[in-house]
Amino acid sequence: MSESRGLHTKEFTLNVGPHHPSTHGVCRFVLKMEGEVITHVTPVIGYLHRALEKICENRTYEQIIPVTDRFEYCTAMSCNMAFSLATEKLAGIEVPERAEYLRVIMLELNRISSHLIWLGTTSLDLGALTPFLYAFREREYILDLFEMTCGQRLTFNYIRPAGVSRDIPPEFIPKCREFIDMFNDKIDDYERVLTENPIFIARNKNIGILPPDVAIAYAVSGPALRASGVKFDLRRDDPYSIYDRFDFDIPTRENGDCYDRYLIRIQEMRESTKIVRQAIEQIPEGEIRGKFNKMNFKPPAGEVYCRVENSRGELGIYLQAADKEKKPLRVKMRGGSFNQLQVMPVICVGHKIADLVAIMASMDIIMPDVDR
Amino acid sequence: MNRDELVSYIPDTFKDKVQLLDTGRAEPFFLIKAENLLEFSRAIKDDPKLHMDWLSCVSGVDTGEHFEVVYSVASVQTKIRFDYKVVLAYDGAEIESVQTVWPGANWHEREVWELYGINIRNHGNLTRFLLPDDWDQGHPLRKDWDAPDFVRMPEK
Repeated sequence: MSESRGLHTKEFTLNVGPHHPSTHGVCRFVLKMEGEVITHVTPVIGYLHRALEKICENRTYEQIIPVTDRFEYCTAMSCNMAFSLATEKLAGIEVPERAEYLRVIMLELNRISSHLIWLGTTSLDLGALTPFLYAFREREYILDLFEMTCGQRLTFNYIRPAGVSRDIPPEFIPKCREFIDMFNDKIDDYERVLTENPIFIARNKNIGILPPDVAIAYAVSGPALRASGVKFDLRRDDPYSIYDRFDFDIPTRENGDCYDRYLIRIQEMRESTKIVRQAIEQIPEGEIRGKFNKMNFKPPAGEVYCRVENSRGELGIYLQAADKEKKPLRVKMRGGSFNQLQVMPVICVGHKIADLVAIMASMDIIMPDVDR
Repeated sequence: MNRDELVSYIPDTFKDKVQLLDTGRAEPFFLIKAENLLEFSRAIKDDPKLHMDWLSCVSGVDTGEHFEVVYSVASVQTKIRFDYKVVLAYDGAEIESVQTVWPGANWHEREVWELYGINIRNHGNLTRFLLPDDWDQGHPLRKDWDAPDFVRMPEK
């Protein structure tokens, strides 16, 4: 630090972004710097604002599902899920058993693929190219599985109110089993490159420490919360769908630094494979979609806030319906990144500018989630 | 505390400050008066049986008749979850900031201010947020908002 050498530089303002590879989208930071040390951070957002909430107010419930895909495209399945869940609760719709299992399989595969994007881009930001190639190689398997199920690789439009859009093809289960059998060894490969890597440790350990009380005060959810030692996961603590039937662990760490957030996500990928394995063992035959009048669905007046745990934490949908209307009165989307970005000014101060990149990456912030 | 206990505990504790609504389809929804907002928010956080330390979301709503601001709160400790709202008339819609209770409310409230034009007292940072810096076309999430390139789906 400049103080330690007895040097004092004049405070200056530095602009980072909006088009910067490390901001994972279009996010801008206005930094106040003293030498290389950050003294103040102001995130500037809105570059990716597409008015999704306004668009939703102008569509029927079935038409909103593809809009939710665009809300958080790294885990589009969980956005579909949150909106479908909210619609089902609003009108008391039943979901067939097989559809619930298909949902869980897709949600967990999507969680892995999202964590793989995170792993790849994070290691790129920190100067390691190899894990990026590894991660995208395995992600390809998952995208193939999605493609054979719903024809899409990124914006799925798969989970719908009352069920899912189509059944899995017969090749799906063997391919999926092949993937999860192979995947744990692949995670070992990533760990071999990163976990003990002195450069990676130097860039991440004790950087961007998020104390648990700050995390809760700012409602920072997901892996970032659990890395700070708070054992809170909506799949366990506010269970939805059929998550209470599966046996899996909620990993937590104590330090809440960038390195712990890395370890949590690695561990979560292993836990997700456990859930997928149990789900494909137990999946029953049967219907994939319950009763839902997709052309003319008119729920009774009511409101609901519904939340699911996605790879970035709490993904919530607040839905208010006017009585017997085809279009909802209000759809509010709440993504995990929104609150994660909000806490950045608190945890970045005192770190060097290079650490901003590491902290931003470790919080796993993506901008469609923030800007909507 | 399950749902039944919650819907009797909150009215019992906060008496006439709070009213249970019948619109909640999953968790209970309560209605409170705008002048009690800050006091109620602090009370549910400090109450040892509720301990609502988690503000998930603040959503503005324009129902076509009035504004609503919905607070979705939860607790990491007690796992309780419910929502409460204030109803505001269009003219001079204004609420108190709850940042002193949950610092994370800052951005959510800023969004409500920008997209609905509901004033937030004691916020401290009501500046352009999601919309462009030179935006001058009003508050887009209001129901009466229209722009030349915004086309509503025809009613059938």
